[in-house]
Amino acid sequence: MTSQYLSQLITADKLSAEPWPEDATLYQPYEAEQILLPENASCLAVKAYLKMCNLPFLIRSCANAEHMSPGGRMTKLPFIRAGAFIFAEFEPIVNFVEQKELAIGSWQDEDEKADMRTYVSLVENIFTMAELYISFKNERVYKEVTAPRNGVVFPWPLNHMQNYGKRRNALRLLKVYQWDDLDIDSVIDKVAKCCETLEYKLKESPETPFFYGDQPCELDAIAFGHLFSILTTTLPNMALAQTVQKFQHLVEFCRFVDEKYFQTRCLPN
Amino acid sequence: MPKSGRDGGASKDSKYDLSKISARVDRVNVSGLLRTHNDYVMRAADGLFKASNFQDLMLEAMSTKSYLHELGIFKDVSVHIDVSRGADASPQGYEVTFKGNEMSRMMGSAGTEIGQNEGSLRTELTIPNILGRGENISLQGSYSSTRANDLQLKFWKPFFHTRFKENRPEMSFSIFRQTDRFDISSFQTTNIGYLVDFSAHTMVGVDLTHSLQYENAIRDVGLLNKSVPFAIRDHCGPKLASLLRYSVVYDNRDGNVFPTRGIYLKSVNEYCGLGGNVAYTSSTAHGELNVPLFAGLVAQFCARVGVVKETKNTTQLPISSLFYCGGPLTLRGFKFGGAGPVVESTPIGAQSFWCTGAHLWAPLPFAGVFKNLASHFRMHFFYNIGNNNSFSTENMRSAFGMGLAVKLAERARIELNYCVPVRHQDTDRILNGFQFGIGYEFV
Repeated sequence: MTSQYLSQLITADKLSAEPWPEDATLYQPYEAEQILLPENASCLAVKAYLKMCNLPFLIRSCANAEHMSPGGRMTKLPFIRAGAFIFAEFEPIVNFVEQKELAIGSWQDEDEKADMRTYVSLVENIFTMAELYISFKNERVYKEVTAPRNGVVFPWPLNHMQNYGKRRNALRLLKVYQWDDLDIDSVIDKVAKCCETLEYKLKESPETPFFYGDQPCELDAIAFGHLFSILTTTLPNMALAQTVQKFQHLVEFCRFVDEKYFQTRCLPN
Repeated sequence: MPKSGRDGGASKDSKYDLSKISARVDRVNVSGLLRTHNDYVMRAADGLFKASNFQDLMLEAMSTKSYLHELGIFKDVSVHIDVSRGADASPQGYEVTFKGNEMSRMMGSAGTEIGQNEGSLRTELTIPNILGRGENISLQGSYSSTRANDLQLKFWKPFFHTRFKENRPEMSFSIFRQTDRFDISSFQTTNIGYLVDFSAHTMVGVDLTHSLQYENAIRDVGLLNKSVPFAIRDHCGPKLASLLRYSVVYDNRDGNVFPTRGIYLKSVNEYCGLGGNVAYTSSTAHGELNVPLFAGLVAQFCARVGVVKETKNTTQLPISSLFYCGGPLTLRGFKFGGAGPVVESTPIGAQSFWCTGAHLWAPLPFAGVFKNLASHFRMHFFYNIGNNNSFSTENMRSAFGMGLAVKLAERARIELNYCVPVRHQDTDRILNGFQFGIGYEFV
């Protein structure tokens, strides 16, 4: 116990000592051909967060990004390689950035930070499960979108085996979070409640664009990642997108973040 | 007893010249066939009918007995030679009867198996002679120090009963699951697939053994540690490999483990890329030359070379197909893979390698005293030279030493060597001192 704690302290010191590497690289599946909705949301959240922190990073797309990842709770993606360190998924990457004292949200007080963490956890769980549900549980979406995209990088019959394994893992995850026996209406209801909570939070400070005032924080990144992915992904079943579109403040929020962090840099190029 | 031998035999020589006794085989019987089809044993009698004297008859009977054993259907075979009787019996006519005891319907075995620098526990369940012509199905499972939980289901069929029996053709089809662990590089490969194998001998001048295999397998590279160099992590994930493998062996040594004379040559060539998303060609060659000297001393020269290349620009050489140079089977005085390229202080395989060995083998001192035991042991002095990713003499690795070798089951051997590395690079993992090795193909 003591040695483990000491080891963590040493690691923390090591992490904070090194500056952010210029060649930090984010690994993700191929965006146009391969990536799935839950993975796209997670990758977009991480990208938004790093842009909000003004940290430079490269993006590398590869077919085996998921298998290269050291693992995580949800999608295992994206993972970031920063110097000798590799972290996967939104929360570990955020923790890593915070260790270097480069994080947005350092201006928040403890109460506000704890409050934000609650929202982040809510957003991550509800939206990721909903995305997994619509991608793997809905038969039509699975056949027309999920299976062809996931299998595109593997030759036959490896593609079918990979699809089978991935779907089984996704269904197992849904079962763990007790989403496997919900019907689509219950899922939509959960998503609607989550959106309602977020919109209420956004309306608390109507004159500022972000959830906690003038500056962005973790919650802005992850909410943008999930909401924007749901809104911009075309599926045979658009129930999730239609649900999110009902909340105008959230749609405006996504448009604002997209223009501020993703569009302005692209236009001059 | 031939009647001609009885007359005056007591008064003349005490030995009979069997080649002078004429004989003729009238009939050959093979009994004990229950599940076996008759045509599978028909060719057994070919040689017997050509015998014209009793000595030839005896020799042919013995070789036919061996042949019946090789067919893989009998537990044991006995031979009876009797005078031919009946209306159609000819003078000096004989009947030869082979009594076979067919194998049971199911056989099991458990034991240990020797691999290349590994020992493993193996269990096997075999159903022999399943279709009546020597076919068998076997289910084999093994657990070893470096492999984990291998499983293979194999169907094997010989064609020893055809007119090509001299070439000993055989075919097999197997489904396998195999895990190769590369602990020094912190990854393992799980292969699941099937293999079709055809092998035969050719006797055009020299006796060669050929094997042609088609393998289709899913290779999944997984990591064994959290902290692994990124160059290795890059290879993670499943890939589909579809490959042809051709190997040829020439072996005229007088022994497998401790030959005193003869040459052994082996070449294995792989072409991967018939479909799937792995593409490379790989060639490995191994040679061994044994020269007897005086007083039981034998000089031995060994060499091995391997090259692997990618064949399509879009693919990457699979890490599990690279060569690991170093270790008791290749370069003594180095740890396994310890004489190869290194990335972030972790050994990674090489795209090409060569290594050579020169040995002086000697029987143990006092070999005459414990004759039977001593024949399983040999002493040797050795000098190994090798390199990887380069065929020049720059940056070579080398080591010398001496050791004791033990023969194991007429196939493999154990070596305990004292090694002194001579030339090595900074990143190499040398082993100065005692080194243990087990396997069946050493350099």
